[in-house]
Amino acid sequence: MADKKDKPFISYKLRGALVCYSIIIIPILLLGLFTYLPVFWAFQKSFYDFEIGGISHFVGLSHYIEYFTTDPTTYISLVNMAFFTLFAVVVRLSLPLIVAKLIISIQSERWRHFYRILFLAPIVVPGVATMLIWGGMIYSSQGLINEFLRLIGLGNYTHAWLANPGTALIAVAMVGFPFIGGFEVLIYYAGLSGIPESVNEAALLEGCVGIRKFFLIDIPMVLSQLKLILILTVIAGIQGFEGLIILTSGGPGYRTTVPGLMMYFNAFSFQRFGYACAVGVILFVLIFTLTIINFKFFKSAEELQATK
Amino acid sequence: MKHTKNWYLHLSILAFASLTLLPFYFVINNSFRSNTEMYHSFFGFPKTLEQLIVCSYKTIKGEKGTIVVNDEQEQISKTLTYKDAVKFYFDSVTRNYKSAWKVLRPYFLNTFLVVIATAFGVLVFGSVTAYILSRFKFPGNKVIFYYFISTMMFPAVLTLVPSFLLVKRLGLLNSRLALIIPAIAGGQVFAIFVFKSFFDGLPQDLFDSAKIDGAGHFSLYWNLILPLSKPVLSVVLIMNILGMWNSFLWPYIVNTDKKYHVIASGLFVLSQTEAAANFGLLYAAYITSSIPLLILFIYATKTFIQGMTSGAFKA
Repeated sequence: MADKKDKPFISYKLRGALVCYSIIIIPILLLGLFTYLPVFWAFQKSFYDFEIGGISHFVGLSHYIEYFTTDPTTYISLVNMAFFTLFAVVVRLSLPLIVAKLIISIQSERWRHFYRILFLAPIVVPGVATMLIWGGMIYSSQGLINEFLRLIGLGNYTHAWLANPGTALIAVAMVGFPFIGGFEVLIYYAGLSGIPESVNEAALLEGCVGIRKFFLIDIPMVLSQLKLILILTVIAGIQGFEGLIILTSGGPGYRTTVPGLMMYFNAFSFQRFGYACAVGVILFVLIFTLTIINFKFFKSAEELQATK
Repeated sequence: MKHTKNWYLHLSILAFASLTLLPFYFVINNSFRSNTEMYHSFFGFPKTLEQLIVCSYKTIKGEKGTIVVNDEQEQISKTLTYKDAVKFYFDSVTRNYKSAWKVLRPYFLNTFLVVIATAFGVLVFGSVTAYILSRFKFPGNKVIFYYFISTMMFPAVLTLVPSFLLVKRLGLLNSRLALIIPAIAGGQVFAIFVFKSFFDGLPQDLFDSAKIDGAGHFSLYWNLILPLSKPVLSVVLIMNILGMWNSFLWPYIVNTDKKYHVIASGLFVLSQTEAAANFGLLYAAYITSSIPLLILFIYATKTFIQGMTSGAFKA
């Protein structure tokens, strides 16, 4: 026990700091173990060839070389990914914005509130269930689309939409039609309601109304929201493959395969964990580069903080 | 003039909304039906539900009489009084839901446990860490904050495979901890970010006056900080619940044992078993699995909206 008159063994300042450290050491260690270590492993293990429980060999860059030269799935999966991402960007930057504009044009606050909730409501359905509904109820042979075609006498046009090589790619892209996500609507709505009343009044005085106002005033005023959705959609497009596990497993053939899905199969079906790590690193570099570009060319650092 | 314009707006919004919600209508509709009935006519109204309504109406009105019902399960027709027919049709309407519930019940329990444990961990670690980083000056304060925030730039696709290898090496495969601990580690980052920007915005006078009143750090945190941060807290909580409820891939990979499935992975596994040949059962399972979040959504609509928008902007 230290005598109170003595100078403290360690200064109060240091003691305060030590108390702080000792409390936040648990979150720090948790993050170190479950995030930083896997990040480090992703890079490190991409240079090794190994199976779980087996011996690992150092193979240098050969996984990366294999991915860009001999892997037959690389080219088609990158093309598919680009297609899905571009498609998603086009529909998510346009349709929810139109709906948000329609909602905000309504006079009654109560209805505006109601519609925003209405479009947000589908988030209560688990994502897996939504995918299973699209795969199992909408696209299946006795599903919604085919039954509807039969109903209106176009029975000749029925397809096994996801199994047919000619329709699989576009069918996967169309999942989520009409693409009015509640999240996007809310973001655009917030952007539109942030337009100062003076701007709206000036536009009205100048006779700038309707579609002209939408393109000349509204869209430039919600650019930062559009950028946010753009980067989020691109990131989701590059790394998203969960839905494909449920819908097509990348088939038929490699018709709907994407790089993330190949990473998943390499790891969990072929036991090629080192190679899978290499694919993960490549995708990370791609996402990182695009994020930096977005940073540089569209100065909107604030919005990027959400790109988790 | 204004009225007609509004009328068009409502109509076009409702057109978009009905296209969005149409699949869910058919899921609900067909969850009451058997495969035979669905194959017969995809778009029809459930016959059993229709009969249930008719018979209930007649029973309530006190009409006496009998009705011939087709028992699809036993492949026979029988003659029942209206009162018995109500019971019979009620059983067939709810049959899919009962079977779905039987399958989903353990998954619900797992999901609840995982969601509650994770949310608790995230809220405690997130708020305490943010409080310390926001209100105390000590060497390394900034560095530690960036240590947390930097992890936001690592996408899930980079860490998925090595995280699996880590959890396997730790011997956590096929356990609830494999879902809870990594989720707390990752989820606290967003929580720290949100809490810290909230705490940073609180006036220093507030803390000074509380200290003058003799409040210690713990009582300051418990009696002042937590009650004040209720709105932020509920946003973090809701976002966390939403994320965990929807998380499919990670539980699917790390827990292959049926005992530890959560709802998301359990639904996918169910869709690949023989039971999935009964579409009505699957649809009933989708509906059932949406009910808890639906209740939460109705109860806390405002927080959902706040969470969606504050997650995207400088929170």
